[in-house]
Amino acid sequence: MANNSSCNRRDFLESSIRLTLALAVGGVGGLAISKAATDDWVWQIDPFACTQCGRCADECVLSPSAVKCVHAFDLCGYCDLCGGYFIPGANALNTGAENMLCPTSAIQRKYIEDPYFEYVIDEGLCIGCAKCVKGCSAFGNGSLHLQIKQDLCVNCNECAIARLCPSDAIKRAPASDPYLIKGGFMEN
Amino acid sequence: METPTKYNLLLLWPLAGAIAVLAWWLFHDPSRHFERSVPGMDERPDSSTLQEEVVIGEHFQQFSTDYTPLTESWPRFRGADFDNISKSGIKLQSGFGSPGPKIAWTKELGEGHAGAAIYQGAVYVLDYDEPIRADMLRCFELKTGKELWRRWYTINLKRNHGMSRTIPAVSEKYILSVGPMGHAMCLDRASGDLLWGMDIARDYDSEIPFWYTGQCPLLAGEEAILATGGKALLIGVDCSSGEVLWETPNEGGWKMSHASVMPFEFRGVKMYVYSAVGGVAGIAAEGPRKGSILWQTGEWNHQVVAPSPVCMPDGRIFLSAGYGAGSMLLQLQEKEGAFQVAVLTEYATKDGLASEQQTPIYYDGYLYGILPKDAGALRNEFVCVHPDNIQKIVWSSGKANRFGLGPYMLADNKFFILDDHAVLTIVKPSKTRYEPVSQVQLFEGFDAWAPFALADGYLILRDSRQMMCIDLRA
Repeated sequence: MANNSSCNRRDFLESSIRLTLALAVGGVGGLAISKAATDDWVWQIDPFACTQCGRCADECVLSPSAVKCVHAFDLCGYCDLCGGYFIPGANALNTGAENMLCPTSAIQRKYIEDPYFEYVIDEGLCIGCAKCVKGCSAFGNGSLHLQIKQDLCVNCNECAIARLCPSDAIKRAPASDPYLIKGGFMEN
Repeated sequence: METPTKYNLLLLWPLAGAIAVLAWWLFHDPSRHFERSVPGMDERPDSSTLQEEVVIGEHFQQFSTDYTPLTESWPRFRGADFDNISKSGIKLQSGFGSPGPKIAWTKELGEGHAGAAIYQGAVYVLDYDEPIRADMLRCFELKTGKELWRRWYTINLKRNHGMSRTIPAVSEKYILSVGPMGHAMCLDRASGDLLWGMDIARDYDSEIPFWYTGQCPLLAGEEAILATGGKALLIGVDCSSGEVLWETPNEGGWKMSHASVMPFEFRGVKMYVYSAVGGVAGIAAEGPRKGSILWQTGEWNHQVVAPSPVCMPDGRIFLSAGYGAGSMLLQLQEKEGAFQVAVLTEYATKDGLASEQQTPIYYDGYLYGILPKDAGALRNEFVCVHPDNIQKIVWSSGKANRFGLGPYMLADNKFFILDDHAVLTIVKPSKTRYEPVSQVQLFEGFDAWAPFALADGYLILRDSRQMMCIDLRA
């Protein structure tokens, strides 16, 4: 005599299908949650490792480069004689093109009050050549520094600049915290 | 058969197109959206700001007259002989060991880089007191740091990489200071009484250098020697009365720099060597020609000149400046009482000995200094060169031993070097290699740039906010 509690073939198949579907739905859901919870990585420049070699302007797959100069205002000395703005031995400390270090005039200089001047980067003009960063680092507080702008960067699998960076200054940073701005970000 | 007119019409279309392209090429201005960068776009005001009326030395406060007199002095910037070398016979510590050097005392100061002068147990510092906004000459007891008196005058200064910069000059009778905005003040050393004051910028139409005055004044017997720029290059002032005794003509319109006037004797002639913004000159320091220019050259002309000239016995003079200026070596020559100066070499910062702020040390035939940040691979390293080939680095401290803009001096046959963060290093003087002896982090310093002062085994140093006295006696 057959046992009623035992599973017949139809029930077994139905249960197996339900379980398989549940596992599939759960797996896809889990993967989606996992994907959402896990941070992506982006490329970023460690400003303390950067040696201002100038390659960021030329080697990026974008033209102009996704690397731009940024300004940490809390570090800036607001000097009249700014090593990031003026060429060494400038004729005069004014906004004449002949005195500027920046080849694209991407730094705007404004008088605030004696003896302070403010320097603001025009990102649209900046090509990431690092000339101003070099001057600021050599003669000033190092408040000007390079960063990869994430709204421009196409996040190549292998960053073309990182491959050639002589100081290995280009690193992976979490997409949720993609900038290494001086002042907040400290040298290790 | 098509008519020739039809052919002509067919040819006309490409011709018209070509003309249109040529016209576009000729008249199109791809730079029409460019904005010219011309002077004035920073909206700098035309006129200078109103000069503040300053009553030099108007306030005085005495705290104590009781202190322990000692025997030695460090009476001015770079010491008694202007070479930054202590001649004291007191033995100093060779290493810091544990628990480190003995801290005699510390003092909070206004933000700045003004170093100290020491005279027989008393320390003199031109501080900037931020709460009451005053240049304040303060006198402390060397052994304990107890404040003895202070004399000050109010002047509104804004932070500009610190405020205070200069070291007073002290003699048996006088104390002479120059404030950030060029206010000279001469006091009686024993009492702190005001003898006279001078507003150099107002009286001589001088331009105060960027980041305030860095010139440390000079006392030469009964005379105060001040580099004014503007209407004169140098002046000599009678210390007791404040009367201007002589003025050096400034026909080139040279400006005041951060460098200090360096006394120098060459072929028996005493002179003052000054590296101004505009050029460098030797000014007669004695005799009927006192105050007149013996020699000068405009070949050395840079916007920011902080290191003072290093004058060597054979007449070579080393000059250096920051902000990409590099260095120059001059050769001074004398013939029948007339002086001539020639440029031996000039080079970029990365190509030899250079300095942005401190003045290198000439010792036993060699020059020692710390290279600036823009000196390439050797940036911030302590280096040794021989004046015969000043661009060849004999040795450097290596990339693991970088220092910065801090001071260095030689005492008890040891170099003492302070980096930006108040790490003190002892290095053995050597002509062949870098020989570090000991190192200690004194405190978490920031911009520890003020020159040292050392007397009776007590070393005075500071960062931007704190002054420290270390008992270095062995």
